[in-house]
Amino acid sequence: MADTLQEKADDVLNRAILAAAEFQQFDQAQTDHIVEAVYKAGLNARVKLAKMAVEETGIGIWQHKVWKNVIATQLVYESIKNEKTVGAISNDPNTGITEIAQPLGPIFAVTPVTNPTSTAMYKILISLKTRNPIIISAHRSAAKCTAEAARICYEAALEAGAPEDCIQVISSGSRDFTHTIMAHPKLALILATGGTGLVNAAYSSGNPAIGVGPGNVPVFIDETADFPFAVSSIISSKTFDNGTICASEQSIIVEEKIELQIREEFERQHCYFLTPEEIKKVEKVAIVADTMSMSPFIVGQSVDTIAQKAGITVPEGTKILLAKLNGVGKEYPLSHEVLTPILAFYSAKNYHQAIHLCIDLNYLGGIGHSAGIYSNDENRIMEFSQVINAGRIVVNTPTSQGAVGGTYNMLLPSLTLGCGTGGKNITTENISAKHLINIQRVCRRKMNDKFMSVSNELYLDENSTDAMLQYDYNKNH
Amino acid sequence: MVTIDYNINEKTMFCSFPARLDTNASLIIDGEINKKTDSIPELNGPADRITAKIVFDMKETSFISSSFIRICVATAKKVPSGHFSIRNCDPFIKKTFKISGLDTILNVT
Repeated sequence: MADTLQEKADDVLNRAILAAAEFQQFDQAQTDHIVEAVYKAGLNARVKLAKMAVEETGIGIWQHKVWKNVIATQLVYESIKNEKTVGAISNDPNTGITEIAQPLGPIFAVTPVTNPTSTAMYKILISLKTRNPIIISAHRSAAKCTAEAARICYEAALEAGAPEDCIQVISSGSRDFTHTIMAHPKLALILATGGTGLVNAAYSSGNPAIGVGPGNVPVFIDETADFPFAVSSIISSKTFDNGTICASEQSIIVEEKIELQIREEFERQHCYFLTPEEIKKVEKVAIVADTMSMSPFIVGQSVDTIAQKAGITVPEGTKILLAKLNGVGKEYPLSHEVLTPILAFYSAKNYHQAIHLCIDLNYLGGIGHSAGIYSNDENRIMEFSQVINAGRIVVNTPTSQGAVGGTYNMLLPSLTLGCGTGGKNITTENISAKHLINIQRVCRRKMNDKFMSVSNELYLDENSTDAMLQYDYNKNH
Repeated sequence: MVTIDYNINEKTMFCSFPARLDTNASLIIDGEINKKTDSIPELNGPADRITAKIVFDMKETSFISSSFIRICVATAKKVPSGHFSIRNCDPFIKKTFKISGLDTILNVT
């Protein structure tokens, strides 16, 4: 009987490692059969799981969570179904290199309270596609719905012939237990999607980790943009599941000369600009003053709820609250990330000041994540993209849906968005099955004739200059 | 399904298996192995009285499930250390035991 945290963790990992041992014997057809069965089960449970998630967490909108479940199952499946993830996945006769895909081993997947069932199902699919057993760590406020999503997937997987314990769930794990599993020597990888503390813990565990933390997404509306379209697009993104996607817009930046038009467009489309007094009240309920982090009580809440908590009155049917700010940082709490329908709004004297603001916002806790631009000037799009540190710069697209991929662009559909070294990640890509395999390279003998043609004596001679070596190396006899 | 022979002279129970040992096959095999081990006096009683050995021959086997690995562990626990071994594994089965981390305990060759 497992009693201590270590013993409990050993039990979980011993089960997972046996599943891994069995799973690595599966061929591509067997693997694909399992993945297809699991995706279908998850897709069929999309509505039930969405409703469960909203009911349990009190966060978001169930209809939108249905779409997240669809992205996590159908779209993810469609994006990986033809991918080779078993055995020889490529062979290049020119280089003589054959690539062989091998599974990683047990994966520990931490799922967030904001997207619990969708993140669980997406991580399950990409893990099974790569023959890796997965241990899901459910957020304590989303334990039931996450466990149910995992149960549905697991039953479908077993029915399709998957190894026992290929999916396990830790629903009521303490922080210490989570850390014990993260540091376990039998664990292969941590896929951590969540807050900064959790992601840092994953990276400190000693095991490989892909951790995706917060974003602080700036969106620049250029004077060449289609204003009604841009505003409508931003609203559709920021109101999606009440703003719970970490790639959702956080700040809107415009030039002074178009400020009035943009403001009027937001107002025409039922958004509300807070007064300076109202901003003070909202920031008190939205941001924890000590840490400048978002309050968990406003995450994924409706405008009405936020207004009620802040003690302000807003017009009926208001979709988003906008706070015009004059700066970035501690003095301006709403310049930080808030996953709820609140947007910071900035008016800059000119284009360059606007881009400076975008950079400041980008570096305020969202380095490497995502950014957006509405523009019809390709030069400005490229300039913006080169100065912003973001894995995804989405153009004329709602950032929530755009960054997640699969609907508005050809990015890989994913609920874990790599943030590059800025976010302490190894990749800026949207994480998918291809990140969960070890690729072995069989390198056949292919002599480098140019290197062989340079005489050893020349290299060994101290008087041989780089120019001489370069000449000899590149000599075409 | 599984062939089990007890060689009295060698005091060894030899088990050989079919090609595919998935979860369902393992369930049946588990019962058969238990039944046989229970019937051999040299494999029962206090640990210091167990004198027989058990050998799993994997010559014909090309796939093993985690359930089968559990059977190996459970069977190995019935006899003193060194009295259980797994022989004639093909490289893929050897690798499977290696990944499980149990190859040494189970005496896999």
